[in-house]
Amino acid sequence: MKDLTDLTTQCIRCGFCLESCPTFVVTGKETESPRGRIYLSRSAEEGKIAWEEARPHLNACLGCRACETACPSGVHYGEILELARDRLEKRHGSFAKKALLAGMTKPGRLRMQLGLAKLLPGKRIPGVLSRLLSGQAPEADRPVAPSAYSFPPLDEAPLPPIKGEVYVLEGCVMRVLYGRVNEITKRLLRQVGFAVRVVDQGCCGALHAHNGYLDAARSMGQGLSAQFSDDLPIVVNSAGCGSTMKEYENLGVALRGRVFDAAEFLAANGLGEVLSTRGKLEATVTYHDACHLSHGQGIRREPRELLAAIPGVTMVELNEAEMCCGSAGIYNLTQPKMARTLLERKWGNVEQTGASIVATGNPGCHAWISQAAREHGQTVEVLHTLEVLERALSGSS
Amino acid sequence: MPIPEDAMVSQLSAILSPDQVLSGPSVQRAYDCDAYTVDRSKPTAVVMPDSTEQVAAVVRWCVANEVPFTGRGAGTGLSGGALPALGGVVISTKRLTQILEIDLENRCLKAQAGIANKRISDSVKTEGLHFAPDPSSQTVSTLGGNIAENAGGPHTLKYGVTAQHILGVTLVDPTGEILELGGKVSGGPGFDFVSLVVGSEGTLGIVTEAWVKLTPLPTAVKTALAAFSTVRDATESVAVIIASGTIPAALEVMDKGILHALEAAFGLKYPVGTAALLLVECDSNDADSAHEIVEREMETVEAICRANRAMEISVAADEAERQRLWTARKKGVGAMGRIAPSIVTHDGVIPRSKLPDMLDFVYDVAARHGGGVANLFHAGDGNLHPCFYFDDRDPVQVKAVVEAGEEIIRRCLELGGSITGEHGIGVEKIDLMPLMFSEDDLRLQAMAKSIFNSGELCNPCKVLPNQKSCVEHKKRWRGVAW
Repeated sequence: MKDLTDLTTQCIRCGFCLESCPTFVVTGKETESPRGRIYLSRSAEEGKIAWEEARPHLNACLGCRACETACPSGVHYGEILELARDRLEKRHGSFAKKALLAGMTKPGRLRMQLGLAKLLPGKRIPGVLSRLLSGQAPEADRPVAPSAYSFPPLDEAPLPPIKGEVYVLEGCVMRVLYGRVNEITKRLLRQVGFAVRVVDQGCCGALHAHNGYLDAARSMGQGLSAQFSDDLPIVVNSAGCGSTMKEYENLGVALRGRVFDAAEFLAANGLGEVLSTRGKLEATVTYHDACHLSHGQGIRREPRELLAAIPGVTMVELNEAEMCCGSAGIYNLTQPKMARTLLERKWGNVEQTGASIVATGNPGCHAWISQAAREHGQTVEVLHTLEVLERALSGSS
Repeated sequence: MPIPEDAMVSQLSAILSPDQVLSGPSVQRAYDCDAYTVDRSKPTAVVMPDSTEQVAAVVRWCVANEVPFTGRGAGTGLSGGALPALGGVVISTKRLTQILEIDLENRCLKAQAGIANKRISDSVKTEGLHFAPDPSSQTVSTLGGNIAENAGGPHTLKYGVTAQHILGVTLVDPTGEILELGGKVSGGPGFDFVSLVVGSEGTLGIVTEAWVKLTPLPTAVKTALAAFSTVRDATESVAVIIASGTIPAALEVMDKGILHALEAAFGLKYPVGTAALLLVECDSNDADSAHEIVEREMETVEAICRANRAMEISVAADEAERQRLWTARKKGVGAMGRIAPSIVTHDGVIPRSKLPDMLDFVYDVAARHGGGVANLFHAGDGNLHPCFYFDDRDPVQVKAVVEAGEEIIRRCLELGGSITGEHGIGVEKIDLMPLMFSEDDLRLQAMAKSIFNSGELCNPCKVLPNQKSCVEHKKRWRGVAW
């Protein structure tokens, strides 16, 4: 593991990150900027201030890593944040946060919670839980168990012969809330000649890593990589998971070169051509860059190209497309106020496009922006990028 | 008896709201320097006013309580202009980020001081206009900061510095009074106080709003990158280009000290054996023959570069490639973190014809002080930016970097130049002012300052040397670095 002092001294304080940082743009505070947080982490690590002083500012970071895109010096901000949060959690951990993560990263428990949650009044997450996590009133709705979905059988005639196998990461939140996207991932892979090898899978550890539980993340990563035991490619449809898995080396886990975002993999294997010949969808579509896809994995072009390949689709660019929507893993539970501010800003930009669909590639953004859609009268439909592609091919929703 | 921190916070919170007043160890640490990291001094509190009236109220409170105050924008200054040298209150403009009025007919715009420079240009891009001053930090540095430091930038060569683009300002003076200086229309009668305020480094008060000129974007532009095997060949080309009567929009040199960082950061390509790159941009918005003019100018430039032994000259094929070149240049200094933990970007001016000898001198200084240096600078203006890199945890290296800077500035003066081109004096060069100005000159400047600022609370210890209470305090912050 890298040294926090070495990582932080790569910052020369030029400040070029400032305007890319959502919390700085909203608050204008140096302490809520990447440069400020790096400086405070280094100061705490070297004993110039107490770690507890840095805590609120590190907690208020989305971990969106837009600053990494802006940084000319190549500072590994994501790693700094994870290490700094690891220090904080080891000093004085948050029981509520730990319990929340434990509940979210086991699909069985998550399902059970959804079932129990139906008994609660209202639609927000319980105020008691919100106050434990953030000291603030809740903003996020409770996740709603998905309605049943089914897809027509694939028309075998135009399909290419199977040329290989891949794994698909089923994910925790994806499996429970967006099972249909997992199903769609398999269908789209089949469209370009790939079959999916099914294995039992655990959690990738992304949420743990982002929140500073590096030991837990490491053991989850090791478990998962053992489950994907050979060298087949691993296709991931959740940006947050994909980003962590591509950087498993930081945790000492080896999956190097085998992890692909679903849009990345499908575009590289000719789905664009399939869509342009057999797809059809009359819609104006805009695209929100999930932070862990754009800033975390550098993937911006592929999802846009796949969407634009669909006959009938008009693409419109989203203003501030690369600015975090505020979901940011569990951020909308731990920092509800800032998350709400960013969600309203995002929704304003979405509505301004005049699009009928906003597509994105991460479950957190998907659920959070969907909440904005519900609150603002469902004027724009929120879909995973892959759902739009599937709709264009099979007409199903 | 200085007012205690908790009393300061509660009284300021009563004037503003509690969430606009920041204090405590993290805040004091985060605001103890700007992008000039050699000198550090903590404020007691930081305030985030959201109107001119709030700024004025805070200033009046500071005056009544004899608390020093310092304005701050994005904190990207390179001479410590936003350093709270005597502690006290930092007044941030980062909640004053709105564009208030756009007058396309008269090509001007009124914005609040905390807006990032580039957001001004972005707001009128579709109208074919822009705010011409383009410091390398323009994506983040603020209008107010640009006004305070009279910021330049690569395109200063043709379009002029910030002073030439500010029509009027709203200034909270050091007593807390709100003044409107200049306005939408330039060239009013009477003394031009706007020009006095621009470049006064926040010592004459805090600018909260400004009317700025909007300049048409060029209708034709060409950008080329010429590679040279010696720095001398590159800098000699610069002098010849200007002497030929061609004034490019920008003429920038980047030397080998930074090239591999630029390659790593931005994928900048250059031939093996390159010692310096010359980035040249020619532009025009002539109604009839913009393209021909640019074509002709670029031919002249290319011929001169070739005559000066350029190894390769490549012209950007499209706007995307042009933007890539400019990103590499403008964010270049920011890429220095790939080389070392800290940098100081020095700033001096010399006559263009002396560039070749001066660069030799810079390399010699770096070698003698045992530090590394990279140069990327506005060659067309003779504005040097030797960027020294070092480890701020080592006091010996910090001292060496400061001394190297002083040597370079002394040489600039010997060659008939200036101690700063665009970064300002700040705290960095305050002791060097007497090298450039006689006692009479300095007295005159102090008198000019006293028009607005008779006290010593508004951004103390900047620009003018030997201010009361600064000399004794200086050892507290000078060169403390990390």
